[in-house]
This record gives sequence, C-alpha cells and structure tokens, in this order.
Amino acid sequence: MIKKFANLIESIQLKLGVFFLALFFAVIVLQMFVRYIGVSVIWTEEVANYSFIWAVFMGASVMLHRNGHFRFSLLFEKLTGKSKLFLKLTINLILVLFSLAVFYFGIIATLNFWNYTWYSLPNFKMGYMFISLPVMGFSMLIYELDHLLDDYSELKEGK
Amino acid sequence: SANVLAVEKLELVAAHNQTSKESPYQVGMLKFKEACEDLSDGAITVQVHAGTLGTSESELVEKLKLGAADVVIVSPGFMSKTGIKQIQLFAFPYLFNDYNHWGKVVDGVVGSKIANIVNEKSHNDFKVLGYWSAGVRHYYGKKPLHNMADLEGMKIRTQTSGVVADFWSSIGAVPTSVAWGELYQALQQGVVDGAENAYPFFVQESHHKTRNGKFTTETGHDYTTRFMLINGSKFDSLSAEQQEIIEKAAKISIDAEREEVRNQETQYKQVLLDEGGKVNEIDRQPFIEAAMPIQDKAAAQYGVEDLLQMIRDLR
Amino acid sequence: MLGISLVALFLLLMVIGVPIAFVIAIIAFVGITVAPHVPVVTVVMKMFNGLNSFVLLAVPLFILAANLMNSGKISKKLIDFSIAIVGPVKGGLAHANVLVSMIFAGISGASQADTAGIGKVLIPSMIETGYDKETAVGVTAASSTIGVIIPPSIPMIIYAGLTSTSISSLFLAGMVPGILSGLGMMAVIYYLSLKRDYPQYERASLQKLLSLTKDALPALMTPVIIIGGVITGWYTATEAAAIASLYTFVIGMFYYKTITLKDIPDIFVDTLTLSSLSLFALAAASALGELLGYYQVSTIVEQFFTNHINSAGLFMVIVILFFLFIGTFMDAIPAMILFVPVILPVAMKLGISPVLLGMVTIITLAIGLVTPPYGLCLLIAAKIGNMSVERSFSAVILFIGVVVAVLLFIAFLPHIAFYIPLKFDPYLLF
Ligand code: NA
Ligand code: NA
Repeated sequence: MIKKFANLIESIQLKLGVFFLALFFAVIVLQMFVRYIGVSVIWTEEVANYSFIWAVFMGASVMLHRNGHFRFSLLFEKLTGKSKLFLKLTINLILVLFSLAVFYFGIIATLNFWNYTWYSLPNFKMGYMFISLPVMGFSMLIYELDHLLDDYSELKEGK
Repeated sequence: SANVLAVEKLELVAAHNQTSKESPYQVGMLKFKEACEDLSDGAITVQVHAGTLGTSESELVEKLKLGAADVVIVSPGFMSKTGIKQIQLFAFPYLFNDYNHWGKVVDGVVGSKIANIVNEKSHNDFKVLGYWSAGVRHYYGKKPLHNMADLEGMKIRTQTSGVVADFWSSIGAVPTSVAWGELYQALQQGVVDGAENAYPFFVQESHHKTRNGKFTTETGHDYTTRFMLINGSKFDSLSAEQQEIIEKAAKISIDAEREEVRNQETQYKQVLLDEGGKVNEIDRQPFIEAAMPIQDKAAAQYGVEDLLQMIRDLR
Repeated sequence: MLGISLVALFLLLMVIGVPIAFVIAIIAFVGITVAPHVPVVTVVMKMFNGLNSFVLLAVPLFILAANLMNSGKISKKLIDFSIAIVGPVKGGLAHANVLVSMIFAGISGASQADTAGIGKVLIPSMIETGYDKETAVGVTAASSTIGVIIPPSIPMIIYAGLTSTSISSLFLAGMVPGILSGLGMMAVIYYLSLKRDYPQYERASLQKLLSLTKDALPALMTPVIIIGGVITGWYTATEAAAIASLYTFVIGMFYYKTITLKDIPDIFVDTLTLSSLSLFALAAASALGELLGYYQVSTIVEQFFTNHINSAGLFMVIVILFFLFIGTFMDAIPAMILFVPVILPVAMKLGISPVLLGMVTIITLAIGLVTPPYGLCLLIAAKIGNMSVERSFSAVILFIGVVVAVLLFIAFLPHIAFYIPLKFDPYLLF
C-alpha cells in the first residue's frame, strides 16, 4: 500500500521537478533573447528563481527515496546482520522525524506568508512558492515510511 | 530617573542588511543599542546584526513578522512585497526638494499617516519607529549631464520595474539590471553607461574610478527613505516604561543615523574628487517636471493622491 | 558548551550514516530550537531563502551542459583531439587526460562530470596501454579538480553570491591557478613517464591533425563563448550556463548528430537528480549558517583574529588548513555557505581581497574532491578503475602536491601570480 503510494508520488514528483527545470531553463533563454532585441521583461528573474526552488525540493525528495544523498557508509559496510538492520532503522527513524519537522514548519511558513506578493508581479502570491516546503516534507515522510516498512519486513524475515 | 528600577529585563534582536561595520545603518543601530541600554540602566539589551541575519531585506521583513528579529531597517521597494503598496510613495523620483523638505514630510503628518497604513495593513506585524536615510542619489556615468537630452539612449543601472524604471525610461534612458557586485566590472567594460546612487555607497566600491563611472552629476533625484520597524505585537506586549525607552532610543538613533549619512556624503564626495572623479551640478527643474506626471500616475495606482498632494504642499 | 554538543551530534549522525545534507539540516533544527527567541520555522524559511538567488541557477545549468557533452560523445572528440596534440610526448595518454580536463573545465562548472565522462574512456584505455591502475585513476581524479579552478566554476559563482564579489573578476583570476595546475601535473607525468617508461603515440600526420581539429573545433569554441561572454559582461554567469547548455545541445544534435530528442528526458532527469543533491545541501547549510549568524560567530572569530593573530600570512595558512580539513568530509558548496561569511570580515580587516580569499578557498576545497573519505572525484575514479580508495589516494598524492604548490604561490605571491589578470582588473587585489 505505502510502497505503491510512494512510487506513485515519486514518479509525479520527478516529472514535476523536470518540468520546473525545463521551465527555468526556457525562461533564462527567453530573458537573453528579449534583452537582445531590446525589450525588457521584468518577471523572468522571479519566475526562474521560484521554478528553480521547486525543482530542487522535488529532486531532493526523489533522491531521498532512491537513497541517493551522499553519506558515509564506512560503519554501515562494516556491520552485518541484526546490527546493520538496527542501524538502518535508526537512520530512517531520524529521517522520519526530520521529514515531519519540515512538513509541520513548512505549513506554518506557508500560512504566515501566503499573502505576500512577488516583487515584479504584485498579483502573484508567495504562498504558491512556500507551499513547496510542506510538499517536500510530506513526500519525504512517505518515502521514509516506505523505507521503514522495508526494514520491518527484513526484520521479520530475519527472525 | 526614579523609575529606572521598574524597567523589566528585555533582550532585543536588531538587524540591518549592510555588512560594512562603517555603514550609517550600523552607526545608527549601535546608537539605538547604546541609548536603550543607557535609558534602561542596562535592563534592555540589544543584539545588533550587521548583515549576519541576512543581507536581503525581504528576509529581514519575514524575520520581523515571525519574531526572529525585533527591529529591522528596510526600504520601500521591498516592503511593498508584504502587500502594502502605498509605501512605494517614498520611492517616487523627485518627490523631495532637499533634506529639509524630506524631514518635514517623514517627521510630520505624512510620516505618521504612512506609519498608520503600515501598521494597519500588516495587522500589527510592523510598527514604524521612525525613518532613516540612505542618502541622496545622483547620476554617475561616462559623461557629465548638462541637460536631459544627454541621457538619450544611455544604459543606466537602476531598478527595471515600477515607478523608478518608468521615470528613467521617460527621460530617454534605458534602465538596465546589473547585480551590485557586478557593477564595477559592468562600468569598467562598458556594459552600462552609468548608474545612480548616493556617494557613500558607490565611492566605497570605487565605481568613480571606472571608465564609465568618472562623471557624477548631482541630479538629486531620490532623497531616500528607510523604515525603522519593530514587531507590533511584541511592542504591545511590553510595559509602558519599556515602550517609552524604545521610542526614545529610536529617536536618538534616527538623529545619529541621519547625521552620519550626511557626514559620509561630504566625506566620500571629497574622496571622489581627490581621486580624480568629476562632479557637476545641473538644473533639476526639467527633471522635476518630467517626474510630475509619473508621480501622478503612480499615486493614482497606489491610492495615495492625497498624501502626494500633502508632500507637494510642504515644499 | 552548546557549540561542542552540536559538533558532537553532527559527527555522531554523520558517522552512523545519516546523509550529510540531512545532518546539516538536523543540526540547524536542534540548534535553533535551543536558541532563545528564535522560532523554529526560521529553519525552513532559510532553506527556501538560501536557494532564492539568481546566481544559483547556474548550478543545474552547468551540470546540464556537462551531461550534454558526455552523452553527446562530444567529450570523446575532445579526447581524440587532445591525444593528437600531446600524444607524441612520453606518457601521451596521461598528458591528454590532463589537457582534456583543462578544456572540459572551460565548459563545465563542476568536476564530477569530468571525472565520470572522461574517466570512463581514459581509465580503461590507459590501463590497456600499460599504465598501472594507480596512475590511471590518480591522474583522472586529480586533473578533474581543475574543473572548478578554470572558469566557469560553480564554487566561484556561489562564492560571488555569498560575498558580492564580481563573478567576472573571479573567472579572470581562476585562469592562472587552473592553467598552472594543469601544466604542473603534466610536468609530474613527464617525470613519471621517463622513470616508468610509459608509452607515447606516433606523431599524427598533418592531415589527421587537421581533421581532428576540425572535428573538435565546435566543442573547443564553447569555453571561448562562455568565459569570453562573462568576462566582457555580455551576459551573466547564469546566462552563460544556459548558453553553454544550448550550444552543446545544438552542436550535439546538428553538427555531431550524436544527441537525439529521445535522449533529452533522461538528460534532464540526470541533471535534476544530480544537481538537487548539492543544492539541497546548500539549502541545509544556509539554515545552519543562520544559527552561526544568531550567535554572531563571525564577530567572535574576527575579534579572536584581530586580538591574537594579527597577520594576513598566518590567517591564510589557517584558512588553508581549515578548509583542507573540512573538505575531507564536506562538499565545497555547503562548506562555503557555512564558513565564508565567518572568515570574510577577518580577511577584509587584514587587507586580503575577496577575490584572493575566494581563490584560496575554492582551490583548497577542490583538493577535498580527491581526499578520502569523502573525495567525490576520487570515489568516482576509483570505482571506474575498480580499486580501493586507499590505494588510489597514494596515486593522487603527487598531483595534490602540485595543486598545493600553486595554491601557496597565489596565496603568498598574489601580485606575481595575478600579473596578467591585474592588467584587466586593477582592483583584483585592492
Ligand atoms: Na570550469
Ligand atoms: Na582528466
């Protein structure tokens, strides 16, 4: 159940991340082009910045699911059997707590600054940007629960 | 005084975005700290952050709202991101004739009206303690200006959106965006033909020594205003004595900061002249006339026509 | 006391294997929770705001350019060209390895893509033609550190953003240590080749040389376009990164015909996942940096240095040793976010220009790319060469010596080292 959900979220999140990456790439190219022809479009920098932040947060979450973030594996590789599993469990529990914190405080941040506006486009709300924080926290939480579940089934098999 | 013992202990976090320890902001903030501590006999302490809590003004505003900072300095442009568009008024070009006029406005009725707007629109997140200055801004570029036509087609580094950009476009210049840290090179290599700022800021960066930064013309288009803000609900939670001390200390810091800005303007203008920069004056009247319709249009857009009229009446 | 507990917790979490970016963020959470007056929500706010800077957009864009170079087999053309140029020298393939890294450095802002892309081709062929494994891995890893020293450079862009230093000044300055490091490594290779009798290539015919040059020319133009554009101010560093991607894409698709539209989604996915790793670490480091800000660590450090160590030379030595140490377990980007704001005020007070401090910081942290346990380039190269990190480190140590010598030269004789860049920018060193 969780595994299916986590995989679904991962594929959506990856597409979203790639979309934002492509968007800010396109916007920067557009910015150079319009400057070349002598027109100034004032919103390019902000659109590019905010798409970039969305892209990074989505990509970072996906890489948590894929265990892609850099870590020291020395101790991990030395251990075997039960103690290795116990270490894995500890790490994943710590990451669950972290994800919860990002989710919770991400909501608080979004609520606090929902109505702040963009600099170049005063009609655009900052809320759409800050909401990337709880989205990151939530997806990380799902991914870590998925990892915990894996650890649990491994523990059961071991017994 | 007799009530000194009554003041309860309080620790304030004060922050601005200038990292230089010699900036007028830092001088003003240290004065605020000193005054708070003196007036409260050490009960109120102030921790001053010179850029250490962020060099971006929008971050400082966010911290103020969250209570992560208690007193901050911000400019009108960034404050408008909080949704209070009326304060853009203080960024209008040629709004003020001179420091005297500026002082009458910000320390008078208009200043308190704007302060009320800030407090109401922010739902008491922000309370204005007073107005600081970041100096008076002038044009500097590859050639001296003798009349407005000299600006035709010149690429000037300034804001590229809003009322400031509208003004420079209307007098023939091309507003161009260059990061502050890149401006020295941009002036040196001719990426831009000029820029605009107050003496202490651009002389400290040696812009007057670049190929396209030699000539300063005292256009005086912006007697800048900076908001000294405190978190409103925090302020309300304090005792009457504490509030009184903070307000008094703010007043003292305002005087010190403004004086420092003016001293530095004289001092750095001299540095510029000693190092081979050239300065000329110009008849500001045609510029003021060009700014009028832009002020009118923006005032209508932001709903501050009455305040604009009050400012003009104070001339 | 709080500081010591946080450092201890940091090390503990790191050693048990929590991902390093998350360790940094967790310490920020714990530290801010303990700090008086500071609401915890500032941690996530700072993660957001730490990324909210236009210059950072260059990071994924330069990684995109490097990915396009690699998947478009454009790096292969550069390798063939380099072999034709320096192949006839004794130890030709190893020299070509360094030369191609120098060219690649002029396109890419990072080092990992260089190690991976070039290593995949050159490590096996070096081993086949009689080089020992250590040298193949060592030369590849060490020469790829030049990637961040020769402009464009992601660490330079981040440093510029942190300190408001001009990116073009940093790019200008970076050419000197970058080229010197490359030449120095070639000298070491030449010495080793004589001693160990490494093979060399026959001199290519003029015709062959011309045809290889023609083949490589569009790719060779890339550094000129990027570096030239930034230094003359035609476009910003971020835009240069976009141009680099666009240009490699166009030549890969239409000139070399090695990239097809079908490859694009995968290239974008790779770029996103790879760049979000360093950028998430950057976001976390910004949050932790805020904690250092609340405790005004920079002021404390500044006071310490002015009261006890009032010497620019000694300060430089301490900075180098400190970043050498930090670089063994932390990436350059988070290390700079955390510590550059702390040391910059001291440097300014001691009369060290931000450009010089930046050069020293970036080169020192580049050495961290090839020092175990967390030397990314060394890890990648060792994996390709299928050998242990410990063994590959002994191969790389000679080349690290070269970079250290260059580092000391620019740190202590900057007016000689930067003689040419100073002609273009007289305020490079104030
Ligand atoms: Na490079
Ligand atoms: Na190489």
